[in-house]
Amino acid sequence: MSDKDTKKSRGSKKQEPNNNNEVRRETAVIENEASETVVEEPVTAPPEEERPPGSKERRFRQTDLPAHFIERRKHPRIQTEPPPPPAPPRFDDYESIIGKPELDEIRFLARHLRGKTVKMVNSTAVGGGVAEILNRLVPLMNELEVPTKWEVITGGNDFFEVTKGFHNALHGGDYQLTKTIRDIFMSYNEQNRQRMEFPEDLFVIHDPQPVGLVRSRNENRGRWIWRCHIDLSNPHGDVWDFLKPMVEQYDAAIFSAPAFTRQLNVPQYLFYPSIDPLSEKNKELDESYINKVCDDFGIDRSRPILTQISRFDRLKDPVGVIESYKLVKKYVDCQLVLAGGGATDDPEGAVVLQEVMEAAGDDPDVIILNLPPWSALEINALQRASTVIIQKSLKEGFGLTVTEGLWKEKPVVAGAVGGIPTQIIHKLTGVLVHSVEGCAYQIRYLLTHPEFAAQLGKNGKAHATENFLITVNLKRWLLLFQLLLGMAKPAKEAMVGEATSF
Amino acid sequence: MATAPQLPTARSRWAKAPFYFNSAAHLLRIGREKATNLQELLEAIRNTNDASIFQHTFQTLEEHHFIGEGFSNDFSHWAFAACNEVELAERLAAIDVREFTSIPALRERIVHIIESYLQKNPRAATRPAMEPFYLMAADLVVVPTPYVARNLEEFVDAMRKVTVHAIYYHFIDARLRLKLNNNDFSVWFETELDMPQLADRLNRIDIYTSTLDEVRNAIIKTIETYAARA
Repeated sequence: MSDKDTKKSRGSKKQEPNNNNEVRRETAVIENEASETVVEEPVTAPPEEERPPGSKERRFRQTDLPAHFIERRKHPRIQTEPPPPPAPPRFDDYESIIGKPELDEIRFLARHLRGKTVKMVNSTAVGGGVAEILNRLVPLMNELEVPTKWEVITGGNDFFEVTKGFHNALHGGDYQLTKTIRDIFMSYNEQNRQRMEFPEDLFVIHDPQPVGLVRSRNENRGRWIWRCHIDLSNPHGDVWDFLKPMVEQYDAAIFSAPAFTRQLNVPQYLFYPSIDPLSEKNKELDESYINKVCDDFGIDRSRPILTQISRFDRLKDPVGVIESYKLVKKYVDCQLVLAGGGATDDPEGAVVLQEVMEAAGDDPDVIILNLPPWSALEINALQRASTVIIQKSLKEGFGLTVTEGLWKEKPVVAGAVGGIPTQIIHKLTGVLVHSVEGCAYQIRYLLTHPEFAAQLGKNGKAHATENFLITVNLKRWLLLFQLLLGMAKPAKEAMVGEATSF
Repeated sequence: MATAPQLPTARSRWAKAPFYFNSAAHLLRIGREKATNLQELLEAIRNTNDASIFQHTFQTLEEHHFIGEGFSNDFSHWAFAACNEVELAERLAAIDVREFTSIPALRERIVHIIESYLQKNPRAATRPAMEPFYLMAADLVVVPTPYVARNLEEFVDAMRKVTVHAIYYHFIDARLRLKLNNNDFSVWFETELDMPQLADRLNRIDIYTSTLDEVRNAIIKTIETYAARA
C-alpha cells in the first residue's frame, strides 16, 4: 500500500481500527487497486477560482447536441459534501450474491476455527486499500465467531518517511539504504512489538511496515502470515535483502499475483484482491439513479458510452484512451467519459489533467470528470451506464477498477499489465490490448458486436464472482488458517486428487 | 383378492447406502517455476510436481467453470494467448482429462504434444511469450455439506442446491481419487442403486462444452428422463 497515499492519516497519534461491525465513513476509492490505492479523506470543495483545471469551464466546438447536455458537460453537478455513511453489510446479506450453499460452506470453515483467535496488523486505520479491506473483513470474521482483532502500528514521521521510501524502492525506485534508515525502521518495529501483546493463535501482518513484529514469534504457538499487497517483481536489491530475512521467519507469505512474488523459503499463497459487492461502489443501483447521475454529468444514454475510471496519472494512459476514442469515433458515434480524482491535491495529477484537457480539445463528447473522494455511488452509476469499460494502463497493480467493470457485467478493454491478465482472459472475460490502435479496434469490435460484448460481460461477472469478491477472500483466509494450524492438511503432492477432509 | 407386490420404480428405489455431498475448497500455492517461452514451459512441465500438473489441467476447470467454450487447460490457453501458437493450443486443448487416471500419464501426454510441436516448429521454442506462465498448485480441503441423498428424488433435490464446487469435486476431481474413468455420482448410481444405465449416461456428460452449471442441469435432466422412462 502506498505510503504516499496514506500519509495524511498517519503520525504518532494512535488510530483505532474498526474491529466490529460499526458504521464507518466510506471513503471513495478512485483508483483502488490493492497495491496503489488512493483513498482520499473528504475535503471541502474549494471555491470556483481555486478549483483544478478539470472543474473549469471547457470550450466546445459547435455541435448538434441538445443544450442541456452541453450545459452539464461544462458545469457537471458534482456532489460537494460527502453523503452519510451507509450501514455495513452483514454476512447474511451476501446470500443474495453468492447463494446459501456457498455461505454455508464459509460458515462450516469458520465453525471449525471457533476458539481460535486472530490478530491483523497494518500501518493505518483509515485511508488506503488495506484499511478498506480490513474494515470489511474483520467485522465479518467476528460475526462468524472467529475472534479477530485489528491493530495498527504507530510511528513518527521519520518512520513513515522510511516506509514511504521502502515502498517506492520495492517498486523498483532508486534508494540509498543507510544504517540510520535501518535503525529507524527496526526501532519503531521494536517499540510496537513491546507495546503490543501477542496471545492470539494467528497473526496476519500486512505489508512491509510492521514486518519486524515477527520477532515476537513463539516457536511453540501461533502461526505468522505476511500479507504483501505490493508488487515485489522488481524490488531495490538492498531494501529487499534487508526485509527478506524477516519475511522468511513467517509461516507463509501471501501475494496478489504470481508475478508480484520473490523466491522465498516459506510457502507462498495467491490471494487475489477483492471487491465488496455490497459497497457503495459495487452494489446494484436503480436505473433512475443511474439516469440521474448521467443527467448530472451531461451524459447521453442514447449513444454508446466508453468509460475509464482512474486517477489522472500517466501510468493510466488517459491521453492514450482519448487517442483510441478518436479512432473509434471515425466509425461509431460515441462518448468518452474519463472520471477520476487525484488532480485536486496532487500537483502531478493536476498536470496530467491539463494534458488530458488539451488532448480532448473542443470535442464535447469527451467528458472529463474530476470527482471528489466521496463519489463511490456516482462511479458505480457511471460504470453501470457504460457500454464499454476501458482500463488502458501502462503499468498497474492488480487493477481493481477492472474487477469492478467485470462485476457489473460490462465488456472490459484493458492493458495487459500487472494483475490485469489474471482478470481478463483474452476474448473470454474481456479483451487485452497493447496499443492505442489495438484498444480502438477492440472497442469498435465490441460496439458493433453487442452479442459478443454481452457474452464477455457475462463471463466477466462469473469470473469476478468466483475469484474476486470479499466472500471468496474470507473463505481463503479461513482455509489458510486451518491449514497452518494443522486442522486440515493439504493434499500431498504424491497423492494429488486425494483432497484432505476434516 | 391379493395383488402381486409392485416392483419399486426407479424414482422410489432406496439406495443401499446414502450419498453424502461434499464440496472442495482450495488455496493456490505459487510455485518456483515460471516459463517465458515454450522451451521453458516444456522443461517446467517435465520437472514440476504432480500437484502443479493437476492444478493447470483439472483444477483450472473448476476455476473457469463458467466458460463453456475455448477453455480446457492453462497450458493450451497460454500457448494461444501468450505465444500465439494456435496449432499447439488446439492440440493441448484436445486433451481430455477424463481419459487419465494418473497425473504422470497426463504429464507424459502434454510433454509429448509440446515436444513434437517444437520438433516441427523449432523457432517457436525460444520465441518470447507476451507474458510468463507461472506454475502453481492447489491445496484442496474437503468441506462436508448438509446434503444427503438416499433416492433419485433426494439426489435431484440436492443437485439443485449444492455449489458448483461440490459438482466439480464429485464429477471431475473424483476421477483421480477413484483411479477410474468414472465419477462419484455414477459409481453411486451403479453400486448403491443398481442403475448402471443411468451411471453410464451421467458419465458421458461433456465437461468441456458446458459450464459447471450446465453440467448440473444436464445431470438433473438425465436423471429425470431416466426416472420417467423407468
